[in-house]
Amino acid sequence: MTHVASLAGQVERDGAFTIQCRVLHALILRDVKGRFGGRRLGFMWALLEPCLFITLFVAMFQLLGRTSQSGVDVPLFFVTGIAPFLMFRDLYAAIAGEAKTNNPLLMFPQVSKTDLIFASVIVNVLLSITVFILLLCGCYALGYTFQVYDPLGVLVTLALLVALGLGLGLVIGALTIRYEFISSIAQAVLGRPLFLCSGLFFTADILPPKAREYALYNPVLHCIESIRSTMFASFDSRYVDLSYVFSFAVIMIAFGLMMLSFFDRQRR
Amino acid sequence: MISLDGVTKSYGLGDKQHKVLDNITFTFPYRQSVGILGANGAGKSTLIRIIGGAEKPDKGKVIRTSRLSWPMGYSGGFQRTLTGRENARFVARIYGADFREVEKNTVEFSELGKYFDRPLETYSAGMRSRFAMAVSYALDFEYYLVDEALETGDARLKEKFRQVFKERRLTSSVILVSHNEQTIRKNCDVAAVLFEGKLHFYENLDDAFLMYRKIIFTERAA
Repeated sequence: MTHVASLAGQVERDGAFTIQCRVLHALILRDVKGRFGGRRLGFMWALLEPCLFITLFVAMFQLLGRTSQSGVDVPLFFVTGIAPFLMFRDLYAAIAGEAKTNNPLLMFPQVSKTDLIFASVIVNVLLSITVFILLLCGCYALGYTFQVYDPLGVLVTLALLVALGLGLGLVIGALTIRYEFISSIAQAVLGRPLFLCSGLFFTADILPPKAREYALYNPVLHCIESIRSTMFASFDSRYVDLSYVFSFAVIMIAFGLMMLSFFDRQRR
Repeated sequence: MISLDGVTKSYGLGDKQHKVLDNITFTFPYRQSVGILGANGAGKSTLIRIIGGAEKPDKGKVIRTSRLSWPMGYSGGFQRTLTGRENARFVARIYGADFREVEKNTVEFSELGKYFDRPLETYSAGMRSRFAMAVSYALDFEYYLVDEALETGDARLKEKFRQVFKERRLTSSVILVSHNEQTIRKNCDVAAVLFEGKLHFYENLDDAFLMYRKIIFTERAA
C-alpha cells in the first residue's frame, strides 16, 4: 500500500485570487452540469417559458385587435420586456435561495458564500442572456427586423438589472434566514405585482399621469423602458432615470450584504 | 498552519444564548495528530465546522494557510444528480489538483467500478459513504479534518482506509474530534479536551483522558 500516498493528487498551494477563480470555475461547471445533464429539462425550460409568455401575449394583442402604440413590433416589444424581466426574476430567486440556505458545499474549506453567490449570478445571467439573444434571433428570423440602436446602453441596462436582482435576492435571502415568513411575503408582494407593473406589456407613456408617478418608483420599470429605448431607434422613453436604478441597486446590495453577514452568524 | 484566534461562537438568542466556543486561541501542531475529546454536546462538530469554514465564528478568526481537507467522509457536498466521476472532478478542481489522478485514486479506493459513471442518487448508502471516503483520500492534504465517523463500509474496506490513514498520518497533520478515548488513543499523538467552551491541551494523551474522565464522571453524577 505504500504506493498509495505518493499517488495521491498533489494539492497546490496558491494565492487567494487563484483559489477563488478555481472555485468559481468548478462551481460554474458543476451548476451547468447539474442543470443540463441527465433527464432535466434545464435549458429547454429556460427557453420555453419566455416563448410561452410571448406567444400568449402576442396572441392576446392580436385577438384584441390592438397594434403597438410604441413604434416597436409587438413580438419585439414583448421579447424586450419579458426576457429581461425573467432574467431579473430568476436571478433574485436564485440569489435569495443561495443566501438563505446553508449550502453543504460550504464544508469545503475554500468555498465561501461569496463564491456560491458569484457563481450563481454568473450562471443565471449567462443563461438568461443566451435566451434573450436566441429570442431576438427568432424574431429576426420571423421577419421582425431591427437594428440595435445603442448596444452599450443595452449592456449597461442589463448590468443594472442584474445588480437589482442581486440586491433584492440578498435582502430577501438574508431576512428569510431569521424570519421564515419573509419568503412567502416576498412571493406575494413581489411575484405577480412586479410582473404586472414592470412595463412588460405597457410603456410608461400610456399610463395616466397619476399612475405613472407611482409606477416609476419601480426600478425594474425604468430598466425595461431603458432596454427598449436603447434597443430601438423608434422608441424613446422620456421617463428613464438610470441613476435612480443605480442608487437603488447599490443601496439594496449594501443593505443585503450587511444583513446577510449579520443573520448568517446567528443561524440556529 | 491552521490556527484559531480568539474564536467565539454561541447559539440561541437573547437570554437563552449558549456559548459553545469561548474565546479559543489554539494552533494545531504541524505533522502531529491532535485528538479533540468532548462529551456529547460539548461543541465538537461546531468546532470542526468552524475550522473547515462551514460556519463563521461570532468573534475571532480562523487562519488557514495550509491545505486543509473537508471533514473526511462527509458526503453532503456532493451533487446527487452528478456522477461519481463528475463529483470527484469538482473536488479536484476546487483544490487545484490533477483530476485524472484524483479520479484514478477514487476508483481504486472506492471499488465502485462502473458505478463511478452513474449519478450518486443511484448509489446505496454504503456506496455513497465509500465514495465519500475514497474522494477524501484521493487528495493529499497537509491537515486532515476528521469527525469521529472514520469507519464506514465493511470490515475489509475499513481496514483499507485505516491503512491509508496510518500512512497519511506520518506525513501530514490530523485534527480528529471524538467522544471516544479509544479512537483518540489509536490515532493521535496529542490531545485536547473541549469543555465549557474552552480547549485544554495536553502533550500527553493520558493527562487528557484523566481530565475527560473527570468531566464525564461529574456530569453523570450531576
